Amino acid sequence: MTDALFLVLSALAVWSGWRVFRVDSMVRASFQLLVSFIAVGLIAVLLAAPYIGIATVFMMAVEMMVMALFMVMFMMNPAGLNPMSMVHQHRFAAITGGTAFAGLVAAVLLSDLPANPVPPEAEAVRDLGRELLGPSMLIFETAGVTLLATMIGAVVLSARSGRYGESDAGSVPPGLTPGGAPAGRRPAQGGGHHDHHWGH
Amino acid sequence: MIAATLYLLLALPPLVWAAAVFDRIGTGRGALLAGPLRNGAALLLRPVAPTEAPDRLNRLLAPGWYLALALVGLSVVPLAPGLVASDLSTGLVLWGACEALTVVVVFLHGWSPNAPFPLLGAYRYVAIALPAMLLSMFVLIGAALPAQSLSVGAVVEAQREVWNLVRQPLGLPLFMALGLALTLRGPFDYAGGAELAGGTSAEESGPALAAWRLARAAMLVAFSAMAATAFLGGYLGPVLPGPLWLLLKTLAVMAATVAAGRFFARMPPARMLTLLWVVLLPLSFANLALVGIEVLP
Amino acid sequence: MTITGGIEMTLVSVLIVAAALIGIGLYGALSQQSFVMLMMGLELMLNGAILAIVGFWAFSLGGAPEGQLLAIIVMAVMAVEMAVGFALVVAVYRKRQADMTESLTELRH
Repeated sequence: MTDALFLVLSALAVWSGWRVFRVDSMVRASFQLLVSFIAVGLIAVLLAAPYIGIATVFMMAVEMMVMALFMVMFMMNPAGLNPMSMVHQHRFAAITGGTAFAGLVAAVLLSDLPANPVPPEAEAVRDLGRELLGPSMLIFETAGVTLLATMIGAVVLSARSGRYGESDAGSVPPGLTPGGAPAGRRPAQGGGHHDHHWGH
Repeated sequence: MIAATLYLLLALPPLVWAAAVFDRIGTGRGALLAGPLRNGAALLLRPVAPTEAPDRLNRLLAPGWYLALALVGLSVVPLAPGLVASDLSTGLVLWGACEALTVVVVFLHGWSPNAPFPLLGAYRYVAIALPAMLLSMFVLIGAALPAQSLSVGAVVEAQREVWNLVRQPLGLPLFMALGLALTLRGPFDYAGGAELAGGTSAEESGPALAAWRLARAAMLVAFSAMAATAFLGGYLGPVLPGPLWLLLKTLAVMAATVAAGRFFARMPPARMLTLLWVVLLPLSFANLALVGIEVLP
Repeated sequence: MTITGGIEMTLVSVLIVAAALIGIGLYGALSQQSFVMLMMGLELMLNGAILAIVGFWAFSLGGAPEGQLLAIIVMAVMAVEMAVGFALVVAVYRKRQADMTESLTELRH
């Protein structure tokens, strides 16, 4: 039963992971990625790590939702239901990805993997809690401080106002051809109020 | 486990109907008891209006997923000592995952018809519902702290002496904000058709709309059962048997949630966001800090 | 012969699935033009990493909680990657009105 579930879930994880880069809408892509994460989370539950597994589902649902919103914000095609393809160096990427997969599989098959499974009576969640707030407290707190620093950094990076003036001062869209004239509308001169440039 | 699932499935349809009746009280539409059933039947007979180039699969499945999330969320609620459909050591986290996926499903529901008004509703809903979900996490951690466990059964047992409602009075009101968000009502109803710019179900009609409303009522039941369990002692109570207590408390929370949805005004999304991030989220931190001080040995 | 055709949930099979996710993620990160899609590739690679870590924890650590701790750290890394990535996308979009990697071949503007 566990094996059959594992097979189905891993097939789902890999297939939807592959579909992420094959579907033509970015919103679909981010939800395909969410499906892949959910499948991996459920595999983790099968592997006797219920907290990690369900927390992955929880975290990734939020992350992918935010991702889908960002996709739509930056896209020329807001609902994301019109087909589009934005791919470069396809051959190189495919070969590199394939090589990485082959190399990792070779490493897995050729190495002598240790076998020391989780004892069935282990209380994985309780152990994890004691570890997090016991011996590994420093690591855990470091992660917390890192996240705090990330929040501050993200706000500073994405804020419009800054030390060197407005961050979109003199902003010009990229050329349609390399070195060509800028595409779309020019931003309003002088700044002041903010307006959106959907000038694609 | 199987018995608990059966009880839940038996209790759900009447409770869903009760939710629809609560929603009807005071709206002046009459026919309190039979009205919801009649409306549902009428919707089933109407055709589904098509839209241009929709995402058919997700449009079809969104109500089903919403219902499924309500059922999964409901399954972690213990009906009596040891009688729980999914007996997980991390039941509260599973409930959290259901909350997060609900936001995704409502977005899909608004996005999949490929029409402007539902999409606007979906954006607004996501912006508003994510912080509401975030604060519910802190509130639930507060409920889990006295139990020293993420299992919902342990959370109930930890309330034998005194309910969490008394121990952490801020908890239930803050959790209600999540309930309003999950069930798309009151100030969080950016997804209903009454919202000025449409809302996620603006393009829905016929059986699809009936299914969506059914799922929404089921989510209200699931949320109320969870709130009753986490803050009102779940199945604990004198004289009456446990499941009956849970039923009564669930009905009470359902009525309170519907009333809160009517009572609080709808706000522009920007002001709502300020309220959530600047007032309610710090309140949930304060709640958590108070609980932490309280459980210190 | 079982219903799964002899495939069992072992460390090797879990690691192969993780390797497939990492390979696909690498392909996506290298081949996508849009920043957000590129980040999806990175996320998929981290997804594979989480699976591999949980697999190693379940099959070879004898239940020592440090393995799960590592998975939590990877999740924190994912959150950091998302937040900083999106902040950079917003900053670049403000400056260049573009979200494609090709439009950022020069650092000066």
